[in-house]
Amino acid sequence: MQITVERIVTNNRLIWIMKRLYVSFALILVLACSANSPENEQGNNKVDSSLSPKGSKEVSEDNQLPQISDDLVANIMQSIPSPIETSYLIKAIGAPYNVSNLNDPNLAASYSTNYSQALNLGVYSTDLGFANLYDKNQDVLNYLNAVKKLADNLGIGQYFDYKTIKELASTSGNVEQLLQLTQQNLEKIHNHLNEQKRENLTILILTGGWVEALYLTTLVYQKTNNQELKERIGEQKIALDQILTILDIYKTKPNFATLIADLKELSKVYSKVQIKTTVGKPTQKVVNGEIITEDNTISTVIIDDTDVQTIASLIKSIRNKIVKV
Amino acid sequence: MRAVLTPLVVLLSLALFSTKAVAQCDAEVYSQKALKALQQGYTFVKSYKIDGKNGARKNIEYTCVFSKDTNYMLRIEGKDGGAKGIVATLLDNQRQELTTNNLNGKSYPGWTYRCRSTGIYYILFSFKDSESYCGAAVLGFKR
Repeated sequence: MQITVERIVTNNRLIWIMKRLYVSFALILVLACSANSPENEQGNNKVDSSLSPKGSKEVSEDNQLPQISDDLVANIMQSIPSPIETSYLIKAIGAPYNVSNLNDPNLAASYSTNYSQALNLGVYSTDLGFANLYDKNQDVLNYLNAVKKLADNLGIGQYFDYKTIKELASTSGNVEQLLQLTQQNLEKIHNHLNEQKRENLTILILTGGWVEALYLTTLVYQKTNNQELKERIGEQKIALDQILTILDIYKTKPNFATLIADLKELSKVYSKVQIKTTVGKPTQKVVNGEIITEDNTISTVIIDDTDVQTIASLIKSIRNKIVKV
Repeated sequence: MRAVLTPLVVLLSLALFSTKAVAQCDAEVYSQKALKALQQGYTFVKSYKIDGKNGARKNIEYTCVFSKDTNYMLRIEGKDGGAKGIVATLLDNQRQELTTNNLNGKSYPGWTYRCRSTGIYYILFSFKDSESYCGAAVLGFKR
């Protein structure tokens, strides 16, 4: 009799557990489906106003904090230009390579917080690209080690194909392959961090890389007075807006407020920069099976010399704060 | 007991099926293929996942910043073979079409855009007679 009662109790408990499992499972399924709905997928946003902080934010009814969708964050971050384009321009104008302008790779082990590690991972990534571009093998290896060290510390080292890059860097003449692989690896790191919902680190990496590229551009401009570089410095107004839009989301995270305040100072100077466009219709032709479209809209950057100097001074100060141990 | 277990099994099967369906598009494979199709002299800058979720997503859009006096080349590779079934359209910040890989009804492997105006652009991927709704594209630049 007691056995029967126990069995009934056990069966009832089993049914109760199964019911709980069933409800929990159904809830998880519903949540998973809504997370995978097309509206929430990356790159499926209406982004007309995506790059304007005002246009892209909503106010949460719950906590009155500005909210921005994960997809929009990913889209804006994805759109931030790669520093490698600026590095190419610096090389193209004939500027010599100067390793003393870059961050000291030996400092990598000294960055102890996730904040400083992520920012300097960005800085070293730009330096690595720079050294790659000038085919400076020993420096490539040094910066590769610095990148690897910080990526490991952030728990994303496995997404950086250190071995292959090291092999390529060990011999000269692999510039294109090195650049390609480095870019691919950095993209993997960004994607992985975003998947892990650690976008705050992705934006720090991107910010560090951008700051370093702008800093190097201003250094070379001060020596060369090259007008293309001056325009490129002015054009960074677009990237700075994008970076600030994303950083602002994480303003309550440790150290973000200082970085945002510094970049907003820079943004004040950039507000004087104008990018004017004269609209023209594009022309299209097919050459050897390739569609080639010529843009006939021309942009001109209007920026004062004094503003360039102020930008150079501010970016130097921001960069020094980032690389300081 | 059976009343509880049967829906659970059905839901589990559905979940597994949907996970399988979502996981079908391995964009990384096509990204690597597209990279190989990038012409010499172009440096890889970004890759774009094109996953139409078996037709559930009609458009996939990415924002990018192009710099003046730079040539950009886009290469597309999809599960249907080459750029088949995938249309990549470049739009300016006013959302005016600048170029596409689908010209006069013919599909091309991508496009080259000679940019003379720094600014925000959009790359819009859509599908035309696609069977797989799956692929990737890579963007390279050359000064």
